[in-house]
Amino acid sequence: MSVAGPQPTVQLPSVSTPLQNYSKDKKVGEGTYAVVYLGKQITTKRNIAIKEIKTGLFKDGLDMSAIREVKYLQELKHPNVIELVDVFSTTNNLNLVLEFLPCDLEMLIKDKSIVFKSSDIKSWLLMTLRGVHHCHRNFILHRDLKPNNLLIAPDGHLKLADFGLARSLGNPNENLSSNVVTRWYRAPELLFGSRHYTGAIDIWSVGIIFAELMLRIPYLPGKDDVDQIDVTFRALGTPTEQIWPNVSSLPMYNALHVYPPPSRQELRQRFSAATEKALDLLILMTQLDPKSKTN
Amino acid sequence: MAGTNNDKIEPTLKKKMISNDDLYRHSSQYNFWSFTEEQLVNLRKQTNLKGQKIAKDKFQQEYTNSKLSNPEIFDKFQQELKEENLLNLISYEEELTFLDFYIQNITTSCNFFKMPTQVRLTASSFFKKFYLNNSVMEYHPKNILYTCIFLAAKSENYFISIESFVKPLSKIDSEHILDLEYIVLQSLKFTLMVHHPIRPLYGIFLDSQAELLHPQINQDINIDKLGDLYNHAREWLNKYYMISDVAFLFTPPQIALASMYDIDQKITENYLKRKFLKNEKLTTIKEEPESTEDVGRTQLTTLIETIQKCISVAKQSHVADREASKEIDRKCFYALNPKNLIDKRIKKLTNNKEST
Repeated sequence: MSVAGPQPTVQLPSVSTPLQNYSKDKKVGEGTYAVVYLGKQITTKRNIAIKEIKTGLFKDGLDMSAIREVKYLQELKHPNVIELVDVFSTTNNLNLVLEFLPCDLEMLIKDKSIVFKSSDIKSWLLMTLRGVHHCHRNFILHRDLKPNNLLIAPDGHLKLADFGLARSLGNPNENLSSNVVTRWYRAPELLFGSRHYTGAIDIWSVGIIFAELMLRIPYLPGKDDVDQIDVTFRALGTPTEQIWPNVSSLPMYNALHVYPPPSRQELRQRFSAATEKALDLLILMTQLDPKSKTN
Repeated sequence: MAGTNNDKIEPTLKKKMISNDDLYRHSSQYNFWSFTEEQLVNLRKQTNLKGQKIAKDKFQQEYTNSKLSNPEIFDKFQQELKEENLLNLISYEEELTFLDFYIQNITTSCNFFKMPTQVRLTASSFFKKFYLNNSVMEYHPKNILYTCIFLAAKSENYFISIESFVKPLSKIDSEHILDLEYIVLQSLKFTLMVHHPIRPLYGIFLDSQAELLHPQINQDINIDKLGDLYNHAREWLNKYYMISDVAFLFTPPQIALASMYDIDQKITENYLKRKFLKNEKLTTIKEEPESTEDVGRTQLTTLIETIQKCISVAKQSHVADREASKEIDRKCFYALNPKNLIDKRIKKLTNNKEST
């Protein structure tokens, strides 16, 4: 609670800068609602990425993902969150100038010529959690954490990117959509169709990414939404009323095959390189009941 | 704050805890949209002048054109068709009255679409912010208002398709909204996050139960009383928060506390004393000369002063005058469409001539 009145604003927003300040050098990707270019900030020679959002493209005006991305990145300035350098407009287009991040965790995981040391995994995990913590303390859920959205800067910093699915944790009675997060990283409460959830869903995703960093293959690769439930609980045990009170009242909790929870020995075998402490952390982050997940 | 350090992962040891106040100070609401009263007045005056200039330039262009195409009429009615006798621009005070009148339509429209409170409050915040930097002599408030509602609905996760949105609205096409959406976003400096006092009010309501509901503290206070206070405070916010300028001048928790304080000063003060002077009775041994209770007392005094100021600003908001607004609306139309003004006057003059 702040006691002092607002101070006069000194800082002026650096928005609406014309395109001349940036160069668009190379097209590197095309998504559903945007084209991404690599370029430079002319004055500083800094490498940047420009996400060009076609505003005239959608019949309902500005796309929801674009709105979310702008909304949340404007608020979240942190070393472990991708920096929104600038926003400017060209005719009919909205341009997000983002910091240039040439690599992501998925690329590293797939490149088997790179050996991960436990210190690498530790520091990536720590940086991810710092970024997630910053989102959560601002009451923002990311809702799409996966290796592909964890980008790596040339200096090794890891940054959370793609806030197209993010949302504010608003009022306690608000309904949230359970159809969020890329399938393999989706927490059990989402698989069960829960309309009320918390930052625990992001922590689950981080836990699954942690497992993937150790295994170098996706930990819970469900083929479809039904299979995801099976794959998830085969690995981590089916939640019951004993370990997760009221779980059976969630919309999609039915006709489940009951798998026993994995023993520590089984987990040790699956994650053969993990230390006991790494296993503790993994177990903590993949608790089935969202209330018992660490934060 | 970690946000400014991009070089190294900072050492975590002995780092100062980041408070919610620190986080708020990094919000766009604090950095771009918080002002002092003088700043707010100056900004609006500047914007009004800008609007007048734009309307005047537009007028002069049409005036020159019209003069060229009707030289004999302008010759004949030199006095009546003098620039200064035609031009009638909207003053700073009129612009305020007009906007106060318009903002009330947000409630009506949002209720019609059964939109949640959050959308209504965000839409009015967008609308107010838009007219800090743009004048009604540049953009008529009617279409801007609907655009703000449409954008606020998306920003607050209450998506409505453009067809269903414009269908019940008269004289508004999808293009009107979609063309303006981008201009509104730009005027908002691409910042969409709005922190309202609703959530802090709920938080304080919960916290006040923990603080005050002990029989040994105060036997007069019970859960029903706190519930009533909460409900009345929400009504207070409905009445004063959206219309007034408090969101530009105070933080959301300050506004939330102001609503409670104005409803029930005794309970609110009681609660604040518990929060700020908690250690007063417990600290018997004084270790430091500047004890925590002195700090608490100063903070409490400052806070109560701020709350009182907030209440008075909230209640300053002028009553929207329908009749005056109608007249301003006419002026606004001609400021935006000077050709109509000149043509109408010419028509009137030439008709009079024919009849005489």
